[in-house]
Amino acid sequence: MFRRISILAAVVLVLSVRSVSAQEDLNDQLEKLTKDAAKKAGESVVQIETRGGTDLVVAGPKGQVFRTALGPTTGVIVAADGYIISSAFNFLNNPTTILVRFPGKANEPLVATRVATDKSRMLTLLKVEAKGLVVPDFVPKKDIKEGQWSIALGRALDVKLDKTPTICVGIISATNRVWGKAIQTDAKVSPINYGGPIVDMKGRVQGVLIPASPKGDDETAGFEWYDSGIGFAIPMEDILAVLPRLKDGKDLQKGLLGVAMKSQDMYGVLPEIGLVQPNSAASKSGLKLGDIITEIDGKPVDRMAQVLHALGVKYEGDKISLKYKRGGEVKEIKSLELVGKIQVIAQPFLGILPLRDDPKLGVEIRHVFDKSPADKTGLKVGDRIVKFGVDEKQLTAFIGDTKRGRAQLFEWLATVTPGTEAKLEVKRKGADKAEVITLVLDNLPGALPGAPVDVLDKLPELASVKKALAPLESGNPNVKPPKIVEEKPPMPETGLMLRNTPDGEHKYWLFVHEDYDPNVAHALLVWLHPAGKKNKEDFEAFQEVWEDYCKANHLILVMPVMDKDEWIPSFSDFVTAATRDAMTRYTVDRQRVIAHGWGVGGNMAIHLGFSHRDLFRGVCAVGAAPIQFKDNIAGQRLSFYLTTGELDPLAKSIAEGRTRLAERRYPAFYRQHPERGRDYLNDKQLREVIRWIDSLDQQ
Amino acid sequence: MNYIITYRLLGIAMMLLAVGELRAQNSVTAASEQVNRKMVKLFGIGGFKGLPSYGTGLLVSAKGHILTVNNHILNTPGIVVHLYDGRRYQAKVLVREPELDVALLKIDEDVDFLPHFVFDKTAEKAMAETGDWVLAFSNQFKIAQGDEPMSVQRGAILTVADLKGRRGIFDAPYSGDVYFLDNIVCNPGAAGGAITTRKGELLGIIGRELKDNRIDTWINYAVPIQFKIEVQREDKKTGKSIMEKESVITFVHKALMGNYQETVKIRREDKGGYHGIILVVNAVSSTPPYVEEIVSGSPAAIAGLRPDDLILYVEGFSVPTIKIWRETLKQYEPGREISMQLQRGNKLENVKLKLANPPKTVN
Repeated sequence: MFRRISILAAVVLVLSVRSVSAQEDLNDQLEKLTKDAAKKAGESVVQIETRGGTDLVVAGPKGQVFRTALGPTTGVIVAADGYIISSAFNFLNNPTTILVRFPGKANEPLVATRVATDKSRMLTLLKVEAKGLVVPDFVPKKDIKEGQWSIALGRALDVKLDKTPTICVGIISATNRVWGKAIQTDAKVSPINYGGPIVDMKGRVQGVLIPASPKGDDETAGFEWYDSGIGFAIPMEDILAVLPRLKDGKDLQKGLLGVAMKSQDMYGVLPEIGLVQPNSAASKSGLKLGDIITEIDGKPVDRMAQVLHALGVKYEGDKISLKYKRGGEVKEIKSLELVGKIQVIAQPFLGILPLRDDPKLGVEIRHVFDKSPADKTGLKVGDRIVKFGVDEKQLTAFIGDTKRGRAQLFEWLATVTPGTEAKLEVKRKGADKAEVITLVLDNLPGALPGAPVDVLDKLPELASVKKALAPLESGNPNVKPPKIVEEKPPMPETGLMLRNTPDGEHKYWLFVHEDYDPNVAHALLVWLHPAGKKNKEDFEAFQEVWEDYCKANHLILVMPVMDKDEWIPSFSDFVTAATRDAMTRYTVDRQRVIAHGWGVGGNMAIHLGFSHRDLFRGVCAVGAAPIQFKDNIAGQRLSFYLTTGELDPLAKSIAEGRTRLAERRYPAFYRQHPERGRDYLNDKQLREVIRWIDSLDQQ
Repeated sequence: MNYIITYRLLGIAMMLLAVGELRAQNSVTAASEQVNRKMVKLFGIGGFKGLPSYGTGLLVSAKGHILTVNNHILNTPGIVVHLYDGRRYQAKVLVREPELDVALLKIDEDVDFLPHFVFDKTAEKAMAETGDWVLAFSNQFKIAQGDEPMSVQRGAILTVADLKGRRGIFDAPYSGDVYFLDNIVCNPGAAGGAITTRKGELLGIIGRELKDNRIDTWINYAVPIQFKIEVQREDKKTGKSIMEKESVITFVHKALMGNYQETVKIRREDKGGYHGIILVVNAVSSTPPYVEEIVSGSPAAIAGLRPDDLILYVEGFSVPTIKIWRETLKQYEPGREISMQLQRGNKLENVKLKLANPPKTVN
């Protein structure tokens, strides 16, 4: 009896052990395979260290400085005679010395030189004097599929170079990411392995890891996603394809067409051109505002996302074919050469402030800037621009109807550059007949480095005719003038209000002054509070400082509440959601939406301005330095007002930031206050900021 | 007698049947169940603002001895322990070892027969290596209370390396080799948790939340139970300082027997080897060690260092900043010959420098 039980027990034991151990065997094998793969590929994974270079590398909107280049990073050997590829992230701070150490050779570092950087893929090619380096095998792109094993290798933590590289196991999450440039992995990707490879179970390189994000294209885009299960790598096949060009020592630039779409909606609407950058590939090939792109390189496109996919992989000098629809007609451009960095885009300046909320055709002049082109030709307050253009015989009339004169003039100015000889047909104040005047367009005030410029010291009283809601006069003589019905528009709520963003996830305070008139387009100031200043009293205090100006100068305050410790880029979405929410409730002047912040909030304001060009027209940052810059976009003007006290250790960086903005032709002011630190604006300074806000729709 | 055997056999058969149930599951499930029974949730009474007043611990004796990290929870006015089966007790700290960053607690009541990790010679086996798969058990974020099980995470060993490793974490609580992990295990409340093999064998104790300042990344690590580090004690007879080696295993082993002698905080003082190198002004925190001047006749002069040389490595360790250079040099005494790598112009130079006694200062 007992014996039987024990036999039974033994049988059960054998059965169960077998099934458990089968699983164990499989696990053991997988574990061994990953280690073997890492060991094999590890021979080609090197450690890179840098010395010197600028100390401040990235002041993300965190306000905090990432000293990225201090620590060791990783690279992959791509040619036996000493070529190594790595993430451009690792060389952001322009180090003076780059050192490479090879596995097992901790005591034999080699000095590397930077050969070239692929600015589209954010990779840097290094060269050391060496021979017989081990070049890893790679997986062809066509064989990389979702779900395959993908092991991320790095050398950042390896102090003595005597170990296999760090191993993070994951799978390929997707291919064709970041507009066709990258493969995505769920292995942990961070500064520990940026620049290192992802390899398959045979130790063959699939790609090289970079921080990347489809939302941004600067060197640190995607850094905030470190260790998040979202990592990107550039396929090795693509790297090898451009290796000969990189070896020639020329940086590779992204190939640009030079258009902006009419809508920011990437997936919902046809790719209609909203703007053609002057001197771009698009303008040279004759593309125009309103054209709808239908095909690129033989592939039909009907959304902006598809256009980005088609163009994302292209380099400067690459040629594409393109079809587009103009009116009802489909046209074709057989060969269009993409350009690299489009030359600095400068926005032109007539020298006027337009009268606001004016339903009449044309643009009435509210103010003429001293010594501006408008001033030199004798334009005066009250004069009305009725036609514009460069060719006197083909001047454009205002269309009215759905487009306000001021907006149409803006659109035209985005297509011409400073130095252009422009013609305006102007009806002088009180005169019946119009005359044509000629002027040479200038740069916007503050948009040239060097020359110190001032904000207007006095504002013209009358800003708005207070008819923002009135129907617009039409330029079409067949359309009868609209009947002006005098009815009082419903009065929205005023005062200080706590609101939820439409998704209900975040809160923001909204302040609308009690004299709010929906017939006056208001400037919108988005306040990005400093760390910790997120309580009701803090917002009330801020409101108190601004309240009088809100009334006198038609301002609305939007104050998002950031409940985490610090502003990070991913909060942009909620801030813009709050901003847009306020814009649907009140009459807001789209030319005067401003991101305003102090300290950390200032960094966030700068980030928001650069990353949401469709929304923000101004950035006012107190005690925050712009460190990373994006190129100017013709149709989306962005003005900067930077200020701090002379005692702020950041003062020098902020002043430099202003210069670098102006080099990119952003209208930028810098104001340094004596004997002050990184304090908030006092009343006098505030008044200047108000004048700056009021002049944001200068033309 | 027969009865007893019968019962035993039946018991074994039942157990084996239960194991049979695992047929469709895998060994991780079995390991999790087994490890969970040996783990406790710790809650500090009171606590500190901004710091989580909860943590994780391991049972290391049948009578309720608990191993955990030597952190702030232990300084709260009282510590409450939740066992795997929901029993709750108060616990007291018996002994701490700051150099290993661990402490031994004891449940304040008479308990016995608790499942526990065994800390004897059998625990002393080879350390795990890069790429090994591991399980992490902890009560991160205080998810579990009472009899609820720990959160178990799958991960792998990213690498085995020195925690300090000149990573800019000068205040790291522990200075030996650690397991760096590829998974985010160092969360609030996770410190003191267990890292085990897939089979549930204990490998290490989950560490604190720390940032690697050189790469600006949060790190996830565990202290290997068998890794020996240097500790400093006062010799009972002579009263002199002596250096000894301890690991988590030896700590637990001795502490359980009540004879763990507390250590003196090691003052990592400057051993003072003199080199005669004057560096450029340490203007920003990342100023690299560029040579400004060499004192004539000094060891550096004899070794052939020159102004404008950039010091890159000392004994194979990278010295990217003046601060790290200073920290590194502290450990070398007069008479010691150190190998250095320098950048001179575009060339790398290898030099050997024999440190000397500091010269008498003359005013």
